[in-house]
Amino acid sequence: MVLSSIVFLPLLFALIVAVWPKQSTLRPLALGLSLIEFLVSLGIFRHFNPASTGLQLVEKYTWIERFGIQYFMGIDGISLWLVLLTTFLTPIIILGSWSSITERVKGFHVALFILQTAMLGTFLAMDAIFFYVFWELSLVPMYFMVGIWGGARRIYATVKFFIYTMAGSVLMLVAIIYMMYLTQEATGTMSASLLDFYSLKIPFVGGTFFSLQTLLFFAFALAFAIKVPVFPLHTWLPDAHVEAPTPGSVILAGVMLKMGTYGFMRWVIPLFPEASEYWAWLFMLIGVVGIIYGALVAMVQPDVKKLVAYSSVSHMGYILLGLFTFNAYGMAGGLYQMLNHGISTGALFLLIGMIYERTHSREISKYGGLAGVLPIFTIAFFIITLSSIAVPMTNGFVGEFFILLGTFQAQPVFAYFAITGVVLGAVYMLWMFKRVFFGEKGELVKDEHHPLHDLNAREIAVLVPLIIMVFWMGLFPNHFLNYSKASIDFLVNNRSNYNLTIHPGDASSVQHAQGGN
Amino acid sequence: MNNNIGLSDILLISPMIALFLASLIPITAKVLRGNREQHPLVTLSQALIGLVIAIGLMVVFGGAGRTAFHNGLVFDGVTQWMGVIALAAAGSAMIMMYENPATKGKQFSELIFLAMSSAIGMLILVSAVDLLMVFIGLETMSLALYLMIAMSHEEKLSKEAALKYFILGSFASAVFLYGVAFIFGSTGGTNILSFMDSAAELVQTSKLFLFGITFVILGFCFKVSIAPFHAWTPDVYQGAPTPHTAFMATAVKTVSFAAFLRIIATKSLVGSDHLFDILQWLAVITMIVGNTAAIIQNNFKRMIAYSSIAHSGYVLVGVITAGVSENGAFGASGVIFYLLSYSLMTLGAFAIASMLENNENSIVNIDDLAGFAKQRPMLALCLTVFLLSLAGIPPALGFFGKFYLFNAAIGEGLLWLAVWGVVNSVIGVYYYLRPIVVMYMKEGNADVSTHSLNATTVTAIVMALAIILMGFVSGPIFTAVEKSLM
Repeated sequence: MVLSSIVFLPLLFALIVAVWPKQSTLRPLALGLSLIEFLVSLGIFRHFNPASTGLQLVEKYTWIERFGIQYFMGIDGISLWLVLLTTFLTPIIILGSWSSITERVKGFHVALFILQTAMLGTFLAMDAIFFYVFWELSLVPMYFMVGIWGGARRIYATVKFFIYTMAGSVLMLVAIIYMMYLTQEATGTMSASLLDFYSLKIPFVGGTFFSLQTLLFFAFALAFAIKVPVFPLHTWLPDAHVEAPTPGSVILAGVMLKMGTYGFMRWVIPLFPEASEYWAWLFMLIGVVGIIYGALVAMVQPDVKKLVAYSSVSHMGYILLGLFTFNAYGMAGGLYQMLNHGISTGALFLLIGMIYERTHSREISKYGGLAGVLPIFTIAFFIITLSSIAVPMTNGFVGEFFILLGTFQAQPVFAYFAITGVVLGAVYMLWMFKRVFFGEKGELVKDEHHPLHDLNAREIAVLVPLIIMVFWMGLFPNHFLNYSKASIDFLVNNRSNYNLTIHPGDASSVQHAQGGN
Repeated sequence: MNNNIGLSDILLISPMIALFLASLIPITAKVLRGNREQHPLVTLSQALIGLVIAIGLMVVFGGAGRTAFHNGLVFDGVTQWMGVIALAAAGSAMIMMYENPATKGKQFSELIFLAMSSAIGMLILVSAVDLLMVFIGLETMSLALYLMIAMSHEEKLSKEAALKYFILGSFASAVFLYGVAFIFGSTGGTNILSFMDSAAELVQTSKLFLFGITFVILGFCFKVSIAPFHAWTPDVYQGAPTPHTAFMATAVKTVSFAAFLRIIATKSLVGSDHLFDILQWLAVITMIVGNTAAIIQNNFKRMIAYSSIAHSGYVLVGVITAGVSENGAFGASGVIFYLLSYSLMTLGAFAIASMLENNENSIVNIDDLAGFAKQRPMLALCLTVFLLSLAGIPPALGFFGKFYLFNAAIGEGLLWLAVWGVVNSVIGVYYYLRPIVVMYMKEGNADVSTHSLNATTVTAIVMALAIILMGFVSGPIFTAVEKSLM
């Protein structure tokens, strides 16, 4: 029941918040509830066996018998940290939104909790249709979050976000249904279970686009590529990021983009091993192009938030590159970079939100000399900047280093180009940092009528956990990677014949489900 | 031919008898009271009780594939499910009629009488297996409807809509009858059961029969607004009073598809590749026309009208699937389930539109919804559920409707139709989101009617809850539908 309670507690919280009568205590209530959720999710460690390669804490019940659709959840080393990232970021987002969300506070928290359920469900669902339900459901609260609490062009941005993502995922639905029929052909009974999908042998013909495995591969890959987003499909992201309210940006960058890369790791690569190997060059190429393109475009942005949004495109390119190396370094680096990006980009958006609340501007040219006025803010911003440009001892370094190591091993050519991204990343972040914090005091900073106040206790409380994570993950990566190592190695070694099984200790719940059939 | 009518025949048509008797009560009461209207609530309850009794009788005596009146009517799973959906939809539409400014008050008894008569026609239509019986059902249903629309208190658009519907509806009926004549000429009978087994061969060997069956199908394409025979739909749906539009878009469409399924069940599609190809293209064109035209609409009712055209295209995919598969039950139950979900969503959307009308001349534009979410959060939430469900976002019922439909299509190898279907649902998202954008994200004072519209509100809330909750138990419902068709 651990995973079910983790996924559905936020939904219950959404209901509690919806009927909560007192407006004044709403925020502390939501914060408390999200902390409860975080503590409950930490309970996974009590049962989780890091040495196992199988699926753990499995819950499996029949949902729609006619089509073999199950209520099927399970966790392994790949999804573990993404689940914790989600539950870790939510309280921070709620605390960080106390002064930025002033209207329709109740609705905001309801949307946030529903979104949390949808995201956790996406990471934990092991049945294709069950997964798809969460995957699509996640669009709705995000749509409202950007559309109601967003900036001036929020409606354009949110509709674009919705339609882009939806357009990607409907072909995946067709592919899922098709694969359900493939399981029926192979085993006699239809099933939407991911484990049954893994054991399918889908015919692959190289050299042509119109081979079954290639078509299914692209149907899935398109859905995830739009979500990530990879280079030519990324245009919804800067719009959505810039228009979203601070908490919306944090959750979008922190968790929702990971749904795409997680999809590659959990679905695309193990389900279609030959096709993903054959087309790996394409995805590595768009990964590299994304790295360089994102960095170059970020460099010329006059708006800080847009700069960070494009830096996301660049960072997500690294993750894609790492995943398609198919070796342990690249994959582990990709997974680690997902967490890093969630922490550091999330923190950057929070910081930008804090300064925006003070000045109501995000134009870099209007700042300057901020370091002298807001020392604590500057220190926090600097640490996160270092993490974002992957300076050693911060979390970003570990991820990028692993990814580049893996890429050198697999496809050195791509690594030569990808490594320029490290430099470019430092260029746009540090240049922005210089223009905002040093030099002449900008018009907003020297404005005598509106003196700027440094961070208050609440804002420091928002940032401290993130900064701790930056160093913890930077100095002791093994604390985290040890939990994922078995699963990643298993994926790397058995990629062409991935047979994820249910961890033996969990046999009881499975038998229970079979008894239910 | 002997004309004995057995007790079993009477029992089987008892729902229609019950409806007929119930329909007479309000107008009889009015006549006895010296042409004074009884309280509309009494009229409404009499009608609703009649509908509930009819549904009950249908569930008790129907099913099991028994036939009545010399194989003229059949009572099987399709009859039962489609009949129940249609009657429930008709009941909800009547609740809206009770409170909508264009239909309430004056002449309400007559209106209910007509609506109930139309419902009798629907029951005949869902159970008819003789093409002439189909025609009788179709006309009973439609004639009452023409009058209902013309009776609207609104003076201009509704009259135009009624006339347009009458002329085009009659034209479609003529096309249908023309086809029936050819079928009669080539097979010597009009009963579907009589040429059921030979239809797949007949379409190849007999040009006359092919011609006939094509015209019969085209007649139905008119009725269920398949493009390019859809042009009447937006005007009629917009001009008719909102409750009548809801009635037409759900109940009428459901029963028309039921009769469509009966004709398709002859497997004439299996015999004729041309017919099969044409229908596939019609489905694709319908989806595209409906969805793209809906994008540019500003009138809420007109937008839903185009959306309902698009949904006809989705349902046609299911009808085609049922027509070509060995085991038609899967495709047909996909159609039934989809119509169930579609009826709930569309009724709900029209219920909200009905509540936004202040007087009989009201026109509900999408831009008028601005600020609706602040004034009526509950109703705005309901409308959001309806629209997202129409767009096919899980876990709402609409998603599962599409899932079963496209699942059946892919199972029959109609992958490309399923791809067209999902691509179209993306186009659909754009216009389904528009009212939501306006409601939640734009400032304004939505002009919510001040009348007490409690029954309609309750209807809308019940529909919204049903859409969410039935999404989770859609599996058992679907299995139940499929079992009853086997």
